[in-house]
Amino acid sequence: MMLETVRELCNLNGISGRENRIRDYIISKITGYCEYKTDPLGNLLVFKKGKKTANHTVLIDAHMDEVGMIVTGIDSDGCIRFAKVGGVDSRVIIGRNVYIGENCVPGVLGIKPIHLIKKSEEGDIPSDKDLYIDIGAKNKEDAEKYVMPGDEINFESNFSVFGEGFLASKALDDRAGCAVLIDIIRSETEYDCRFSFSVQEEIGTRGAATAAFSSEPDYAIVVETTTAADISGIKGADRVCICGDGGAVSFMDRSTVYNRDLYLKALETAKSNGIKAQTKTRVAGGNDAGAIHKSRGGVKTITVSVPCRYLHSPCCVCKLEDIESTRDLVKALATEFAK
Amino acid sequence: MSYEEVEVLLRKLCGADGTSGAEGNAATLACELLNEYMPAQFDALGNIIGFSGEGRSILLDAHIDQIGLIVTAVDEDGFVRVAAVGGADRRVMPAARVTIHGKEKIPGVVTSTPPHLAGPDDEGKVPPFDKITIDIGMTKEQADLLVSPGDRITMNGSFIRLAGNRIASPCVDDRAGVASVLRCLQLLKGKKTCKLDVMFSAQEETGGSGAATGAFNAQSDEAIAIDVTFAKAPDTGSGIFANLGDGALVGYGPSLDYAMSKKLSSIARENGIASSPEAMGGRTGTNGDDIQTAGKGIRTALISIPIRNMHTAVEVVDLADIEETARLLAAYILERSANDA
Repeated sequence: MMLETVRELCNLNGISGRENRIRDYIISKITGYCEYKTDPLGNLLVFKKGKKTANHTVLIDAHMDEVGMIVTGIDSDGCIRFAKVGGVDSRVIIGRNVYIGENCVPGVLGIKPIHLIKKSEEGDIPSDKDLYIDIGAKNKEDAEKYVMPGDEINFESNFSVFGEGFLASKALDDRAGCAVLIDIIRSETEYDCRFSFSVQEEIGTRGAATAAFSSEPDYAIVVETTTAADISGIKGADRVCICGDGGAVSFMDRSTVYNRDLYLKALETAKSNGIKAQTKTRVAGGNDAGAIHKSRGGVKTITVSVPCRYLHSPCCVCKLEDIESTRDLVKALATEFAK
Repeated sequence: MSYEEVEVLLRKLCGADGTSGAEGNAATLACELLNEYMPAQFDALGNIIGFSGEGRSILLDAHIDQIGLIVTAVDEDGFVRVAAVGGADRRVMPAARVTIHGKEKIPGVVTSTPPHLAGPDDEGKVPPFDKITIDIGMTKEQADLLVSPGDRITMNGSFIRLAGNRIASPCVDDRAGVASVLRCLQLLKGKKTCKLDVMFSAQEETGGSGAATGAFNAQSDEAIAIDVTFAKAPDTGSGIFANLGDGALVGYGPSLDYAMSKKLSSIARENGIASSPEAMGGRTGTNGDDIQTAGKGIRTALISIPIRNMHTAVEVVDLADIEETARLLAAYILERSANDA
């Protein structure tokens, strides 16, 4: 069930500001399990009845958008120029195929052949201004039949399961989080709970700000993915978190200094419930918590993240078991905070 | 024109895998396809070679191998270390999907260093191949059961139909050439020709060993190598003149037989086949170089098909250029055969 939900979510396209397909899918999965509405920015706000009325309002947040690109113009030779949407490293997009606009026009990110590059420049990535997408058009007029400025540019998903329980796909950030929320909404919960499937996290947590305002929570749990650098040759805390060791709990990142009691509570709750969890061992990154903890008069906030390698690339890698551990911990914490 | 025949051939050929020295199912497929026209077999180095007809002989060559990577070791963390096979491009490696052809096909992802571990000198750079590893989601113990040094690795990619008649796919270099030769044989079906020696050569990307030995064995009277060349793109700069869709590029250069080059150009003109001259100052960088000096020497010509993004998983080709190359080959063979008779 979880695997299928993650797969279906990752196979949908939804860069920041174009989350409609993700939202429609989520609505189809949660209808009948809760009340929901869409706010003016496109956030999907959910209220779920639990067995008991909550003493404190808890908001669980995950963002629907993914990184990608947007068409900015078409050159006279028919090549498409673009801007990045969110933090995309050029190193992971060159030489890949992409799909443009609602009709998914295929294109490729070209690169000058290695044969024509000076030996000393063989490892250099072209600068952003030199990147372009080739859709096979002969010239500008031909390209304009297929593409216009403002069209979204999406990576190919190619969702796959490999190795020992690993998943590989675009958009695991943060469809893994969305899948956790969907799973909790469809399950029986102890207490009433609010959820936000937020828009525009990748361009600066725009959606979470209004979602938190409208949800008025006392506590918030942000369900995210975060960098796992547990790759060849990297040891200790430099790994940030480790695939297979459960949800990573943050004490601080670039956007939030987390409530210390909640951080300790999260680790203690994991331990007492026999749920795998770990500490995110580096102050790096930022997420919706940055907007949520400053909402109204302040919200006690915690982030639990699925460890994810090659974040923001067309091929993110995480473990299914970590998504499940994250769900179990988030659900247990929601109960604790609602008491 | 729909170019359906060419598209079918190219799609089949690009869907097969065959890195240099392990041409694998690409070679098997090419052998089967060639067998439809003439008896074809493998030689000692893995070339596929077929002979048909009598009299003066023309060798048609296109290489079947593709660039890739090769496993050098599995490290203690279970990640796979690699070296390049042929001129693989490390700039397109980070976070790329690959397939390791081990005891079974094993999916993997090329690791990419997260920003927090990158130093100031790493900005905009990609590490060399000896620092690149592949994530197969296994421990060393698990990996050792399936992956061994020497296993080949191919870049994953899709066969994508772009606008017009353009295709993006891995290993268009040189399956486009192989497709043009097979399409030429289709066009010649039922027609009387001189002796045809057809070679789908191994190991071009690692230095042309296949073509050298295959051409020695064939002892043909003349040869035409068919390979890909650089097509103009927004970033290729001055010195690259070929446009996608302009047709077959007839090679002119010191190592190529001038009379053959001129004949190819005039036959193209007479038959309304799109073509342009492509000149080079020395050797051609193709199998043509190795065929020319095989045995006592073979008069050699070169026809090139322009592609963009060479040596990536998104090589772009115009089907029209493959079709025009096939038509030019067929017209040349028919003219030579008529003169023979």
